[in-house]
Amino acid sequence: MNNYLIVVSIIFCIGALGVIVRKNLIVVFMSLELMFNAANLGFVAVSNRLNLISGDIFVIFVIVVAAAEAAIALGIAIAFYREKGTVDIDKANELKN
Amino acid sequence: MEALFYVFSFIAIFSALMVVTMRNPLTSALYLVLCFFALAGFYVILDMQFLAAMQILVYAGAIMVLVVLVIMLLNISRIKNIGSDLHQKIIGGLISLILFAEIVIYIINGAEKKPTGIFTGALIKKIGNTQIIGEFLFTEYMLPFEIASILLFVAIIGAYLFAKKKY
Repeated sequence: MNNYLIVVSIIFCIGALGVIVRKNLIVVFMSLELMFNAANLGFVAVSNRLNLISGDIFVIFVIVVAAAEAAIALGIAIAFYREKGTVDIDKANELKN
Repeated sequence: MEALFYVFSFIAIFSALMVVTMRNPLTSALYLVLCFFALAGFYVILDMQFLAAMQILVYAGAIMVLVVLVIMLLNISRIKNIGSDLHQKIIGGLISLILFAEIVIYIINGAEKKPTGIFTGALIKKIGNTQIIGEFLFTEYMLPFEIASILLFVAIIGAYLFAKKKY
Protein backbone atom coordinates (compact mmCIF):
# COMPACT_ATOMS: atom_id res chain seq x y z
CA MET A 1 0.00 0.00 0.00
CA ASN A 2 2.71 2.47 1.02
CA ASN A 3 4.67 1.47 -2.09
CA TYR A 4 1.78 2.60 -4.28
CA LEU A 5 1.46 5.90 -2.45
CA ILE A 6 5.20 6.55 -2.81
CA VAL A 7 5.00 5.92 -6.57
CA VAL A 8 1.94 8.21 -6.73
CA SER A 9 3.75 10.99 -4.90
CA ILE A 10 6.86 10.66 -7.10
CA ILE A 11 4.83 10.93 -10.32
CA PHE A 12 2.73 13.78 -8.89
CA CYS A 13 5.84 15.75 -7.91
CA ILE A 14 7.44 15.19 -11.33
CA GLY A 15 4.24 16.56 -12.87
CA ALA A 16 4.31 19.57 -10.54
CA LEU A 17 7.95 20.15 -11.50
CA GLY A 18 6.99 20.14 -15.16
CA VAL A 19 4.15 22.59 -14.61
CA ILE A 20 6.46 25.01 -12.78
CA VAL A 21 9.65 24.68 -14.83
CA ARG A 22 8.63 24.23 -18.45
CA LYS A 23 7.64 27.19 -20.60
CA ASN A 24 6.08 25.36 -23.52
CA LEU A 25 2.29 25.50 -23.15
CA ILE A 26 1.84 21.99 -24.57
CA VAL A 27 4.40 20.44 -22.23
CA VAL A 28 2.82 22.23 -19.26
CA PHE A 29 -0.50 20.70 -20.29
CA MET A 30 1.08 17.24 -20.53
CA SER A 31 2.61 17.61 -17.06
CA LEU A 32 -0.86 18.49 -15.81
CA GLU A 33 -2.15 15.23 -17.31
CA LEU A 34 0.66 13.44 -15.46
CA MET A 35 -0.59 14.90 -12.16
CA PHE A 36 -4.16 13.82 -12.99
CA ASN A 37 -2.94 10.28 -13.62
CA ALA A 38 -0.95 10.12 -10.41
CA ALA A 39 -4.08 11.10 -8.49
CA ASN A 40 -6.05 8.44 -10.38
CA LEU A 41 -3.58 5.74 -9.40
CA GLY A 42 -3.86 6.89 -5.78
CA PHE A 43 -7.66 6.61 -5.92
CA VAL A 44 -7.52 3.07 -7.34
CA ALA A 45 -4.83 1.87 -4.92
CA VAL A 46 -6.60 3.19 -1.80
CA SER A 47 -9.96 1.93 -3.02
CA ASN A 48 -8.44 -1.52 -3.63
CA ARG A 49 -6.89 -1.52 -0.17
CA LEU A 50 -10.09 -0.50 1.68
CA ASN A 51 -12.27 -2.88 -0.41
CA LEU A 52 -14.35 0.06 -1.69
CA ILE A 53 -15.59 0.81 -5.23
CA SER A 54 -16.14 4.61 -4.98
CA GLY A 55 -12.51 5.40 -5.78
CA ASP A 56 -12.76 3.50 -9.05
CA ILE A 57 -15.97 5.34 -9.97
CA PHE A 58 -14.25 8.62 -9.19
CA VAL A 59 -11.43 7.76 -11.61
CA ILE A 60 -14.00 7.59 -14.42
CA PHE A 61 -15.21 11.10 -13.60
CA VAL A 62 -11.61 12.35 -13.45
CA ILE A 63 -11.07 10.91 -16.93
CA VAL A 64 -14.21 12.70 -18.18
CA VAL A 65 -13.05 16.02 -16.70
CA ALA A 66 -9.56 15.49 -18.16
CA ALA A 67 -11.03 14.89 -21.61
CA ALA A 68 -13.11 18.09 -21.39
CA GLU A 69 -10.08 19.98 -20.08
CA ALA A 70 -7.92 18.65 -22.94
CA ALA A 71 -10.36 19.96 -25.55
CA ILE A 72 -10.56 23.42 -23.92
CA ALA A 73 -6.82 23.69 -23.17
CA LEU A 74 -5.76 22.76 -26.69
CA GLY A 75 -8.35 25.19 -28.08
CA ILE A 76 -6.75 27.90 -25.95
CA ALA A 77 -3.28 26.80 -27.18
CA ILE A 78 -4.38 27.18 -30.80
CA ALA A 79 -5.94 30.59 -30.13
CA PHE A 80 -2.80 31.70 -28.26
CA TYR A 81 -0.53 30.54 -31.08
CA ARG A 82 -2.67 32.37 -33.62
CA GLU A 83 -2.42 35.56 -31.56
CA LYS A 84 1.30 35.49 -30.64
CA GLY A 85 2.94 33.11 -33.11
CA THR A 86 4.49 31.06 -30.27
CA VAL A 87 3.44 28.86 -27.36
CA ASP A 88 5.91 30.32 -24.83
CA ILE A 89 3.83 31.01 -21.71
CA ASP A 90 6.07 33.97 -20.79
CA LYS A 91 4.48 35.78 -23.74
CA ALA A 92 1.07 35.41 -22.09
CA ASN A 93 1.40 38.61 -20.10
CA GLU A 94 -1.58 40.65 -21.23
CA LEU A 95 -5.31 40.03 -21.09
CA LYS A 96 -6.21 41.69 -24.37
CA ASN A 97 -4.31 43.35 -27.15
CA MET B 1 2.69 -9.35 -8.72
CA GLU B 2 5.47 -7.81 -6.69
CA ALA B 3 7.93 -8.01 -9.59
CA LEU B 4 5.31 -6.56 -11.98
CA PHE B 5 4.73 -3.68 -9.56
CA TYR B 6 8.42 -2.74 -9.61
CA VAL B 7 8.64 -3.06 -13.40
CA PHE B 8 5.59 -0.82 -13.94
CA SER B 9 6.69 1.72 -11.36
CA PHE B 10 10.14 1.93 -12.95
CA ILE B 11 8.62 2.47 -16.42
CA ALA B 12 6.10 5.02 -15.09
CA ILE B 13 8.65 7.10 -13.16
CA PHE B 14 11.26 6.96 -15.92
CA SER B 15 8.80 8.04 -18.61
CA ALA B 16 7.36 10.75 -16.35
CA LEU B 17 10.87 12.16 -15.92
CA MET B 18 11.39 12.02 -19.68
CA VAL B 19 8.11 13.91 -20.28
CA VAL B 20 9.39 16.78 -18.17
CA THR B 21 12.99 16.86 -19.38
CA MET B 22 12.77 16.27 -23.15
CA ARG B 23 13.22 19.36 -25.36
CA ASN B 24 11.01 18.17 -28.19
CA PRO B 25 7.28 18.25 -27.28
CA LEU B 26 6.55 15.33 -29.59
CA THR B 27 9.05 13.13 -27.72
CA SER B 28 7.43 14.15 -24.44
CA ALA B 29 4.04 13.22 -25.85
CA LEU B 30 5.22 9.73 -26.79
CA TYR B 31 6.82 9.20 -23.37
CA LEU B 32 3.52 10.32 -21.83
CA VAL B 33 1.75 7.57 -23.79
CA LEU B 34 4.29 5.08 -22.35
CA CYS B 35 3.55 6.40 -18.86
CA PHE B 36 -0.22 5.92 -19.44
CA PHE B 37 0.38 2.31 -20.48
CA ALA B 38 2.42 1.66 -17.33
CA LEU B 39 -0.41 3.12 -15.22
CA ALA B 40 -2.89 0.88 -17.05
CA GLY B 41 -0.67 -2.02 -15.97
CA PHE B 42 -1.06 -0.88 -12.36
CA TYR B 43 -4.84 -0.92 -12.77
CA VAL B 44 -4.69 -4.50 -14.04
CA ILE B 45 -2.63 -5.51 -10.99
CA LEU B 46 -5.25 -3.83 -8.78
CA ASP B 47 -8.13 -5.90 -10.27
CA MET B 48 -9.66 -3.04 -12.30
CA GLN B 49 -9.34 -4.19 -15.90
CA PHE B 50 -12.17 -1.90 -17.03
CA LEU B 51 -10.29 1.17 -15.82
CA ALA B 52 -7.15 -0.07 -17.58
CA ALA B 53 -9.09 -0.31 -20.84
CA MET B 54 -10.55 3.18 -20.25
CA GLN B 55 -7.10 4.53 -19.52
CA ILE B 56 -5.71 3.21 -22.80
CA LEU B 57 -8.74 4.10 -24.93
CA VAL B 58 -9.47 7.58 -23.58
CA TYR B 59 -6.08 8.81 -22.36
CA ALA B 60 -3.52 7.09 -24.57
CA GLY B 61 -5.97 7.06 -27.47
CA ALA B 62 -8.20 10.12 -27.60
CA ILE B 63 -6.45 12.75 -25.49
CA MET B 64 -2.92 12.03 -26.69
CA VAL B 65 -4.02 11.97 -30.33
CA LEU B 66 -5.49 15.44 -29.74
CA VAL B 67 -2.23 16.63 -28.17
CA VAL B 68 -0.06 15.22 -30.97
CA LEU B 69 -2.41 16.74 -33.54
CA VAL B 70 -2.08 20.18 -31.94
CA ILE B 71 1.72 19.84 -31.73
CA MET B 72 1.82 19.05 -35.45
CA LEU B 73 -0.62 21.85 -36.22
CA LEU B 74 1.51 24.41 -34.39
CA ASN B 75 4.65 23.91 -36.52
CA ILE B 76 6.92 21.85 -34.30
CA SER B 77 10.25 23.32 -35.43
CA ARG B 78 9.28 26.74 -34.10
CA ILE B 79 7.98 25.64 -30.73
CA LYS B 80 10.71 23.25 -29.64
CA ASN B 81 13.35 25.88 -28.82
CA ILE B 82 11.75 27.23 -25.67
CA GLY B 83 14.19 26.84 -22.78
CA SER B 84 13.62 27.68 -19.14
CA ASP B 85 15.78 29.94 -16.96
CA LEU B 86 18.17 28.62 -14.31
CA HIS B 87 16.41 30.33 -11.40
CA GLN B 88 13.12 28.88 -12.62
CA LYS B 89 14.65 25.39 -12.57
CA ILE B 90 16.07 25.85 -9.06
CA ILE B 91 12.83 27.23 -7.61
CA GLY B 92 10.71 24.59 -9.37
CA GLY B 93 12.97 21.78 -8.16
CA LEU B 94 12.86 23.11 -4.60
CA ILE B 95 9.06 23.42 -4.64
CA SER B 96 8.53 19.93 -5.95
CA LEU B 97 11.12 18.45 -3.53
CA ILE B 98 9.35 20.14 -0.60
CA LEU B 99 6.00 18.86 -1.87
CA PHE B 100 7.42 15.34 -2.17
CA ALA B 101 8.91 15.48 1.35
CA GLU B 102 5.58 16.66 2.76
CA ILE B 103 3.66 13.83 1.10
CA VAL B 104 6.20 11.19 2.19
CA ILE B 105 6.18 12.42 5.80
CA TYR B 106 2.39 12.32 5.73
CA ILE B 107 2.40 8.74 4.33
CA ILE B 108 4.93 7.49 6.88
CA ASN B 109 3.23 9.10 9.88
CA GLY B 110 -0.32 8.17 8.89
CA ALA B 111 -1.93 5.16 10.53
CA GLU B 112 -3.10 2.50 8.11
CA LYS B 113 -6.87 2.15 8.02
CA LYS B 114 -8.56 -1.23 8.18
CA PRO B 115 -10.63 -2.27 5.13
CA THR B 116 -14.22 -1.07 5.56
CA GLY B 117 -15.99 -2.00 2.31
CA ILE B 118 -17.35 -5.32 1.13
CA PHE B 119 -15.74 -5.36 -2.33
CA THR B 120 -12.80 -7.67 -1.77
CA GLY B 121 -10.69 -8.85 -4.69
CA ALA B 122 -12.44 -12.22 -4.70
CA LEU B 123 -15.92 -10.64 -4.85
CA ILE B 124 -14.89 -8.27 -7.66
CA LYS B 125 -13.50 -11.24 -9.60
CA LYS B 126 -16.71 -13.21 -8.98
CA ILE B 127 -19.16 -10.49 -10.14
CA GLY B 128 -16.86 -8.87 -12.70
CA ASN B 129 -15.41 -5.37 -12.34
CA THR B 130 -17.21 -3.91 -15.37
CA GLN B 131 -20.58 -5.01 -14.00
CA ILE B 132 -19.90 -3.52 -10.56
CA ILE B 133 -18.79 -0.19 -12.04
CA GLY B 134 -21.81 -0.08 -14.35
CA GLU B 135 -24.19 -0.84 -11.53
CA PHE B 136 -22.77 1.90 -9.31
CA LEU B 137 -22.57 4.39 -12.18
CA PHE B 138 -26.28 4.06 -12.99
CA THR B 139 -27.64 3.92 -9.42
CA GLU B 140 -25.65 5.65 -6.72
CA TYR B 141 -23.65 7.96 -9.02
CA MET B 142 -26.46 8.81 -11.45
CA LEU B 143 -26.39 12.59 -10.87
CA PRO B 144 -22.61 13.00 -11.40
CA PHE B 145 -22.94 10.85 -14.50
CA GLU B 146 -25.56 13.19 -15.99
CA ILE B 147 -23.56 16.28 -15.00
CA ALA B 148 -20.54 14.74 -16.77
CA SER B 149 -22.55 14.59 -20.00
CA ILE B 150 -23.46 18.29 -19.67
CA LEU B 151 -19.77 19.07 -18.99
CA LEU B 152 -18.68 17.29 -22.15
CA PHE B 153 -21.31 19.18 -24.16
CA VAL B 154 -20.10 22.52 -22.79
CA ALA B 155 -16.50 21.49 -23.54
CA ILE B 156 -17.35 20.84 -27.19
CA ILE B 157 -18.88 24.32 -27.55
CA GLY B 158 -15.98 25.91 -25.64
CA ALA B 159 -13.33 24.25 -27.79
CA TYR B 160 -15.12 25.39 -30.93
CA LEU B 161 -15.38 28.97 -29.66
CA PHE B 162 -11.69 29.11 -28.69
CA ALA B 163 -10.32 27.62 -31.87
CA LYS B 164 -12.57 29.73 -34.12
CA LYS B 165 -10.86 32.36 -36.29
CA LYS B 166 -12.80 35.44 -35.16
CA TYR B 167 -14.14 36.06 -31.67
